[in-house]
Amino acid sequence: MGGKNEVCGRILTILAVAAVCSAGVRAQEADRRHPVYVGVKVCATCHQGKGMGHQFSRWLASKHARAFAVLADPQAKRIAELSGIPQEPQESPTCLGCHATGAHAEDWEKDDTFSTLDGVQCERCHGPGSEYIDADIMADRRAATEAGLVMPTVRDCMGCHQVKGSHVAVHNLPALDIEQAMSEIAHPTPENFRFGPARHLLDVTASKKAEHKYIGTVTCANCHKGPTHGYQFSKWRMSAHARAYATLATAGAYDIAREQGLEDDPQDSPDCLKCHTTAYHRPAGSTATSDFLEEGVGCEACHGAGSDYYPEAIMTDARAAQAAGLKEVTRQTCLECHENAHGKPFDFDQAVKKIAHPTELPEVSQAPRYKTPVNMAVSPSGDEIYVACEASDTIIVVDIRELQKIAEIEVSRQPSDVTFSPDGTRAYVTNRLDDSVSVVDVSLRKVVATIPVGDEPHGVLTDVSGKHLYVLNTSSDSISVVDTVTLKEIKRLAASRNPWSLSRSPDGSAIYVTNNLSRFVKFRAASESEVTVIDTARAIVRDRAAVPAANLLQGVDWHPGGDFALITLNRTKNLVPMTRLLQGWTITNGLGIVWKSGRVDQVLLDEPSMCFPDPADVAITPDGTMALVTSSGSNRIAVVDIQKLVSMLEAASDYQREHVLPNHLGKPTEFVITHIPTMHSPRGIVITPDGRTAFAANALDDSLTAVDLEKLEVAATIDLGGPEVVTTRRLGERVFHSADVTFSRQFSCHSCHPDGHVDGLTYDIEPDGIGISPVDNRTLRGILDTAPFKWEGTNPSLQRQCGPRLAVFFTRIQPFTPEELSALEQYICTIPRPPNRYRPLGAELTDAQRRGKAMFERSMTNDGREIPKGQRCVTCHFPPLFTDRQRHDVGTKLQFDRESDFDTPHLSNIYDSAPYLHNGIAETLEEIWTRYNPNDEHGVTNDMTKDQLNDLIEYIKTL
Amino acid sequence: MKYFVCVLAILSVSWLAPGSFCEAMNLEAADATGPELPFVYTNWKHFTVKDGLPNDHVFALKNDGTRVWVGTEDGLACIDKLTGKIRSWNEKDGLPWRVVSALEVNPKTGELWIGLFGGGLARFSGGRFDHWNQLNSGLVNDVVYGVAVENDNIWAATTAGASRYNTISGEWTIYTEKNAPMEEIWNYGVCYNDGKVHLGVWGSGVLEFDVATERWKDYLDPDGEMEIDLYRDDGIVHVITTGTSYVEGILWVSTYFGMSRYDGRNWRGYYAHETGLPSDFGNAVKGRNGNEAWFATDKGVGVVADFETDTWVTYTMDPNTHGGKAVVSRGKDVIKTVDMPKCIPHNYALWVDFDGNDVWVGTSKGVGWAKGSGYYERLR
Repeated sequence: MGGKNEVCGRILTILAVAAVCSAGVRAQEADRRHPVYVGVKVCATCHQGKGMGHQFSRWLASKHARAFAVLADPQAKRIAELSGIPQEPQESPTCLGCHATGAHAEDWEKDDTFSTLDGVQCERCHGPGSEYIDADIMADRRAATEAGLVMPTVRDCMGCHQVKGSHVAVHNLPALDIEQAMSEIAHPTPENFRFGPARHLLDVTASKKAEHKYIGTVTCANCHKGPTHGYQFSKWRMSAHARAYATLATAGAYDIAREQGLEDDPQDSPDCLKCHTTAYHRPAGSTATSDFLEEGVGCEACHGAGSDYYPEAIMTDARAAQAAGLKEVTRQTCLECHENAHGKPFDFDQAVKKIAHPTELPEVSQAPRYKTPVNMAVSPSGDEIYVACEASDTIIVVDIRELQKIAEIEVSRQPSDVTFSPDGTRAYVTNRLDDSVSVVDVSLRKVVATIPVGDEPHGVLTDVSGKHLYVLNTSSDSISVVDTVTLKEIKRLAASRNPWSLSRSPDGSAIYVTNNLSRFVKFRAASESEVTVIDTARAIVRDRAAVPAANLLQGVDWHPGGDFALITLNRTKNLVPMTRLLQGWTITNGLGIVWKSGRVDQVLLDEPSMCFPDPADVAITPDGTMALVTSSGSNRIAVVDIQKLVSMLEAASDYQREHVLPNHLGKPTEFVITHIPTMHSPRGIVITPDGRTAFAANALDDSLTAVDLEKLEVAATIDLGGPEVVTTRRLGERVFHSADVTFSRQFSCHSCHPDGHVDGLTYDIEPDGIGISPVDNRTLRGILDTAPFKWEGTNPSLQRQCGPRLAVFFTRIQPFTPEELSALEQYICTIPRPPNRYRPLGAELTDAQRRGKAMFERSMTNDGREIPKGQRCVTCHFPPLFTDRQRHDVGTKLQFDRESDFDTPHLSNIYDSAPYLHNGIAETLEEIWTRYNPNDEHGVTNDMTKDQLNDLIEYIKTL
Repeated sequence: MKYFVCVLAILSVSWLAPGSFCEAMNLEAADATGPELPFVYTNWKHFTVKDGLPNDHVFALKNDGTRVWVGTEDGLACIDKLTGKIRSWNEKDGLPWRVVSALEVNPKTGELWIGLFGGGLARFSGGRFDHWNQLNSGLVNDVVYGVAVENDNIWAATTAGASRYNTISGEWTIYTEKNAPMEEIWNYGVCYNDGKVHLGVWGSGVLEFDVATERWKDYLDPDGEMEIDLYRDDGIVHVITTGTSYVEGILWVSTYFGMSRYDGRNWRGYYAHETGLPSDFGNAVKGRNGNEAWFATDKGVGVVADFETDTWVTYTMDPNTHGGKAVVSRGKDVIKTVDMPKCIPHNYALWVDFDGNDVWVGTSKGVGWAKGSGYYERLR
């Protein structure tokens, strides 16, 4: 090698290392010894070459190096779909958590030399390297470890390599043989190691004619990645071209070299490098990076040095690009290296096909898109119904006279309820996934404004004047009050938990709000839910009616007489084992009568042999004689004779009203006139102003059932235009919402996991006799890859969880059929996580969240003691799922718990699934550590100051 | 030691007070030819345990439309101004802690925010109490002396710093010596007005938080912790501050060693020996406007009724006769003395709140309601 070349190479190496060191210094200045990711290329400056056992090349040839690129495969998209991940896999923190390095690190925790595109790099396993990359430190294992070097264990590897249901479903791969895998990626440092030689390009003075400079494939990748560019970078990364340099480190390469009379390292041979790198043999001007060789055969090997054509403005102009050096790739281009290479035949056409990387991706057929109508509003004129369709992100307009769909209006994501302004000129639509309200101009049938509100808005209604719009934020337990002139939220009222639906009193003075979840109650106490009463004159909360022993308060409608409103409710007996059948077994279903005075009566709609599962909504006829209640679990509408209901209550004593009627299965026959069948999963119900027709929204049938209220029979089924095909997922969704599989058809999966989330209760399910060891109900949002299931981790799969176990403990009749079970599993797997409200996608961490992240990842206490690895937050709750899927004893076992080790829950959107810990004993995240971690068994936290704990919680809420 | 002093100050009580209604006196009519006089409250009504208060030791008051909330040593009470009836809540009614030390109403939502002495922070809304404490939330400490509503945020002045709770996002921010110019962390009082939060901090003067910039400014006694004022009007009179009130751009401050007024440029200190202040030991202050402030002290209530003329009205009660007296003074010169059958219920006054023309005073022997029919600002 020429002396000048060597000098140049060394300088480049020094520059790179200096840049890294300065990054380390900068990091130290900002936060002493806080490590940052430096990227594999920096590691490679030393860890390559024969003297280091070709460690870098071994990595480059491994699947780890292609882990990011593989997310471009259609299978990755399928896995993401199965997992309820709505993003591109290459942009999803969940996918990147295992397919890249530092996916959960902030930008400031990554040096400029780092690239996510390099997949699973050295630092994914060994920890961010800025503090230990110095050669002197690395040569001393103890010093390196103190500086942050991690020597991973099998357990660390299993954090990503545990069986994931989604991956098995798509790839059908066997469980990883970890021993085998470890041997495959083994990269021991030779005993008499010597750091790798400096790599370099040919002497820049070798040719005076060099016009264009090489810029490297990573620069090309700035544009040529992602679906809009056909994942071109990823396709290259998956190709043999990307491994061309690494291949030279293999035994086969050494053999070939020997055959050609080369006894030394092929990676040192200009003859080999000529075709195994992009431009070793070509004068390259002042190419800036020494890692350039290691990328193998990159874009510029075929397309020419890119320094002058890579700007977008030039690349989009073919002639300009050509003039700037972009070469046309011909047979000759390939033959320069492939012709008679190592005696292998070369089929140009096949080879081109193999590495084809068109910009445009082939079209992929989209999954059928259902409508899923959930709630409705009748226009003040009585002519039209607006139907909120949460799956199609639309409002469907139905002509009441013609009984047919006449229009469809696009709104935002997951519209869940709709109401009209009193003058009928506007419709307001809550968009649950976007935390907003769409304002629809009724005459234009078009969204004319969007109003940001709280988290997961559901019910929506104006006051009688139309001046104020009330929006129920289910996830933030609040009520937004919106000024309908300025279209701005003017205040936010405190609801109870999960406010759901609302109804205005006939005189307009009050609005009653149902709340889906019970208030927090003491451990092992019965639930107590709330109807929140709004004083519309002042737009404040005036009263809160308690509804004892009830939950899932959903539908509500005022009686036109103004004396009471009816609400739908469940009475969940969650504190006794599911072996007790007295008074209606585990979950009874009924109505609440909320009197103007604040008194609340409860009656059942279940009958001894025929339950009325999941009452979802109620509507009272304008003349006040009848109430219609939907049962989404049994596809029926119950028709209640209100006079009989009221008479029954008035005839009862106070004791009976309080203690007997709420559980009396024999009473519904006294006031339920009839049941009317609907299609799948009726949710919202409305009645026309003339009182002639009721409409129920069949959520899982994409239709409305029109009921003739004179005859009390179905008048028509109105098709809303959803796809006719029933996909496996849709079938699973129907199974999930149907009570057909439970004893007496009493409840469905949805009863305890409303819409796949939580009911906020703790349950004593097992027949262990005394009902004193309840466990917290866990959300199904995003659980796909978090097996095992149950707090005791005894169910290894959803098939097991929802199959035999469900039949034994829950349904008490025959289990699901294999087809149903498979469909159910697919549906549960695809229940999406809503976007995190504490850290919108792409947003930087706040100061408090950033400080909290440091607490989450800390390894030292405030007084300088090292925290054992097993007692650090991030050890058991590591990204991307923030669970190690193992059981641990965190000191929360109570006297009657059978086990002390409990499954590690994932932390995704943990803020919206209170209460916490296996028994739901912690109402808030704070209590997990302030009350229930006295001995630092659930992470070392007792040395934290209050502000540090606050920061930690602010960070946890972003996960 | 300072904690002991504080607890004594908050909890001390000695004499009894009458509990009946008193007719008003018309001071203007009494002396039409004399110097210009401020309005003097002569029509007082008392509320004590006999009338339904859960306890006579009143730590906080908050006027709220047709009712007045009362925080006592043993429960929360609400006086219906129209009927005079009192409703109360203690722990068995859901009040999370019996000692109510601070009250504030969110004017937008109507929610009552309650500071609990040892029990944290509570919200009373629609008949339901919600509770935040240092174990179940990010509140820095359970000993809450003061509460203020700032936009959608709730501030709590606690014995271990100040907490700011964002009711929309649920985020708690703690302010202590780590991130505010707080030489001591024992926060006594907090108020919010016109974009500024003012903390009265035991040993750290007054801290001003600008909501728009989130920056702090501190007001300290240039004379240090000395209990004498070496140079007049050079700053706050003492760093052991107990209360702040910010109105019309004027900051009123109470301390244990005198009171202060600050107009953004000039300070003015007030001492009992040269003004109508009954005592230098201030428990609380409430500014009505830039010219008038009421100081609740351990020896009565001192009102600077007209700043410019240094005109004061001092309200006290005679512990022997339980009769009341209002002394009008200019500086220390008494202009007029008005005897009345009833004045403040007790000289140990802990809180003042305004209610239109009326004034409510919390004392260690119940609540005094001063009816201000004909009230006028400044002098006539």
